[in-house]
Amino acid sequence: MELMTRNETWNITYRHALGETASFFFANIRDYKKIYGRRCGHTGRVLAPPRAFSDQSLKPTTEWVEIGPGGIIEAFTMVYEEFQNLPPPPYAFGYVRLDKADTAIGGFFRGVDLSDPPAAARKLGIGTRVMTHFAEKRVGDVLDFWFELLD
Amino acid sequence: MSNTRVGIIGIGQSAFRARRDDAGYPDLVREAVTLALSDARLELDDIEAVVYSLSPDSMVGIGNAERLGVDAVGARNKRFLRINTGGATGISSVAAAYYHIAAGACDVCMTAGADKVGECGDSQTVLNKIWDPTYERALPLGTITMLAMSAVRYAHKYGMLQEDMAAVVVKNREHAAKNPNAHLRKQVTIDEVMASRLISWPIKLFDCCPQSSGGGAIVLASEKYIKERNLDAVWITGLAHSTESYYLGDRMGVGFTADHADAHALGESFQRAYKMAGITDARKQVHVAELYAPFSNTEFHAIEAAGLAKPFETVPDLRAGRFSLGGDTPVNASGGTLCTNAIAVTAMIRVAEVALQVRGTAGGHQVKGARVGIASGNGGDHQFFGTMVIES
Amino acid sequence: MRLKNRTAVIGCALRMPTKPDAESLEELLFEVTQAALKDAGLTIDDIDGIVVASNDQMDGRAISVMAASGSVGGVGRDILSTPSAGEHAFVMGALRIASGQYRTQLIVSWSPTEADSQAEVERIGTDPYYHRRLPLDDLAAYALQATALAAKAPGVHEIALSIAGRHGANDQTSTGPAFRRWPLTHEMTPPPVTGAVALVLASEDFVAPRGGRVAWVRGMNWATETGFLGDRDLSTAPALETAARGAYEEAGVALPRDTIQVAEVSDPTPYQGLLALEALGLSGRHEWASDVKSGAFDFGDKLKINPSGGVRAANAVFCNGLIRIAEAANQVMGRAGGHQVAGVRTALAHAASGFAMQYQTVVVLGQDR
Repeated sequence: MELMTRNETWNITYRHALGETASFFFANIRDYKKIYGRRCGHTGRVLAPPRAFSDQSLKPTTEWVEIGPGGIIEAFTMVYEEFQNLPPPPYAFGYVRLDKADTAIGGFFRGVDLSDPPAAARKLGIGTRVMTHFAEKRVGDVLDFWFELLD
Repeated sequence: MSNTRVGIIGIGQSAFRARRDDAGYPDLVREAVTLALSDARLELDDIEAVVYSLSPDSMVGIGNAERLGVDAVGARNKRFLRINTGGATGISSVAAAYYHIAAGACDVCMTAGADKVGECGDSQTVLNKIWDPTYERALPLGTITMLAMSAVRYAHKYGMLQEDMAAVVVKNREHAAKNPNAHLRKQVTIDEVMASRLISWPIKLFDCCPQSSGGGAIVLASEKYIKERNLDAVWITGLAHSTESYYLGDRMGVGFTADHADAHALGESFQRAYKMAGITDARKQVHVAELYAPFSNTEFHAIEAAGLAKPFETVPDLRAGRFSLGGDTPVNASGGTLCTNAIAVTAMIRVAEVALQVRGTAGGHQVKGARVGIASGNGGDHQFFGTMVIES
Repeated sequence: MRLKNRTAVIGCALRMPTKPDAESLEELLFEVTQAALKDAGLTIDDIDGIVVASNDQMDGRAISVMAASGSVGGVGRDILSTPSAGEHAFVMGALRIASGQYRTQLIVSWSPTEADSQAEVERIGTDPYYHRRLPLDDLAAYALQATALAAKAPGVHEIALSIAGRHGANDQTSTGPAFRRWPLTHEMTPPPVTGAVALVLASEDFVAPRGGRVAWVRGMNWATETGFLGDRDLSTAPALETAARGAYEEAGVALPRDTIQVAEVSDPTPYQGLLALEALGLSGRHEWASDVKSGAFDFGDKLKINPSGGVRAANAVFCNGLIRIAEAANQVMGRAGGHQVAGVRTALAHAASGFAMQYQTVVVLGQDR
């Protein structure tokens, strides 16, 4: 008995409104290579990436705080498998708590030799200091910056 | 105020496989429904309401796919709605069905669903789209990378080694070998897990759940209905949900409520369910646990969240066999999510397996004398947690 | 069906931002949640559980409840999601309260307009086995239903045109073709807008010590048609008849046209509105022409249909159903502002979602419990 299959692809483009808070964040990265977090009025925690309100306290955030460009690694992984529509491996990415921020922001780690995974994992260990680097041409997007180890 | 008890009277699950080219998606749902009805000795007409269990539409490739499942669950002209809490969907659906009966809306409610993750092409592509487009979509986040980062933090905090993760895989595959419904049933050794292909440090191929296809269904009924007809039932005595912040980076740094290494909100959810069920010492009172853990490392913090081990003791306890069949509190005697993951129903299967255990009908992977069991489901970016206590 | 405990709506909020680009979806949800809590006189700490509803394909997020859950107060709380329909979130919330295990529930649903093609979003809801190659979206399904209805109720086209014409076109383009999907005209099919709606529900015990008017859920029922359009007689609405019957029975409503002062009826086009009026027992197909002509439901003293303006006033596609419930509740609570009808003791909400109203939900709300 013949068993048929059918291929279908979903093709929809979305135009997502970023709102004032995220727009301010990205405009400053694009135009001034500056990164900002936003302080939660209730706990005092500086949230990065910034949001208009804290989902823990449900109170609006109160002020902009310039953060980074240095920071420490809070989490990382290195990817060795190919996934459709994601970058070709190997690559490393994770979360960095930039100086003056209380939460961590996601980004790629570049300039690390990933050919020896355990060695790379030691280099990228939690607590390692990194520096934010910016792209020459920036568009106002999370890929305008990445992190590199200091050495 | 008296709450009528809600019992489970019928359970159905497919024998999960990678692909089911012989069946369309609604057929898989029907398959599980037929098994559950047969187990309950009921007909479709006896079902008064249906809760449909379906996780991301994009995984099955049909927007609001539940609409096509109406006939598969016999819901024409009946009460019907769908639940989606990501990977926790299956347990949230059982909870939703529970509320139908506890509310007095009906005496018999069924929850059912299916998934064909293997047909999706690339589940990590879909799962990348769960992140918000503002800040994180551009990053190569997926459930594997996200939980790899949890492994990195857990290792840093508690000293877990990759060999410890491998021990979880070995245990669960041994269990799955005794469970004809599990997808991955081939036993493995620690060396084989360590030698498997590295996907996202430190998670290797064998540390990952498979992409499974198949269906699940559970029939619930009110105590009144069960007593009037003298039916065999096991009882849901506790249930709860709790939620973590969506932002992974908020679970790190300074001043966080939840550490991404742990499963804080899962712990909250278990505490609430235990309170409702009157469980004060899980280690002593719980006989069997089906904890949602799609990657080997995540079984550790799930065990802690369930109160079955103390932080820093979980890894040595697991290595010593406490959570294996034959040990103190078998965890994932079915093989768990690590061996079978049909996303839309995986968390429902956790409930189904616990129900089978406390009913004494789990077959080859039965935990002897199990009377009190717990189940959990995780969804979103390790964000939504449903928990349940089921007793005979 | 006798629910174990009573549920009341104690607050609502609706947001249809005129400049949707000015804020992110999460910010809109934060706002509508805070507004509903304020309307109910509560803070998030009073909320025992949350149920949300949204559509992944409209939102452009594969599990749309994720990023949204924080905005609606989900962190540390019990949150469920019913993506089948906005009104199903209301049903789920009411059941949770009726179980006696929750004192309050927050219900939130939303409908953005960020996708480049709403038609495409809807078309991917068809099955890939038989129907995906057809241009079948919500409008096409409404049109198919309109044609099926016309075959059984001759004259319905004229009635539909007069309903659409009377309330006026509320949008731009009448420079295109007269029909969008025959027999639906531009005037009959308002363009989608961004919207969000939130309601706060509470138990009898919670409401008792407080003051203020609430809207009691006196009757609630829901049912579904089958999925394949071809399996249905689109000129009828049996699931709605079932839902209405159960809701009326629970509410003790024998003669709806005499007992209800306001009905918020889902009318994505006039055809569905008419079909709904019939299935709800408010106006049968032999009465449509005279009721519409006489303005019985607009100017009559007994029953007002859609004082909110219905879907034509604001077509927040995904949450239109829940909006009908919120509007009806507001009428009972005396909080419907500019379109408040005087003396509303009992209101009815009819919510429909899916192709040609596949899901049907009826809620009867009243001042008396």
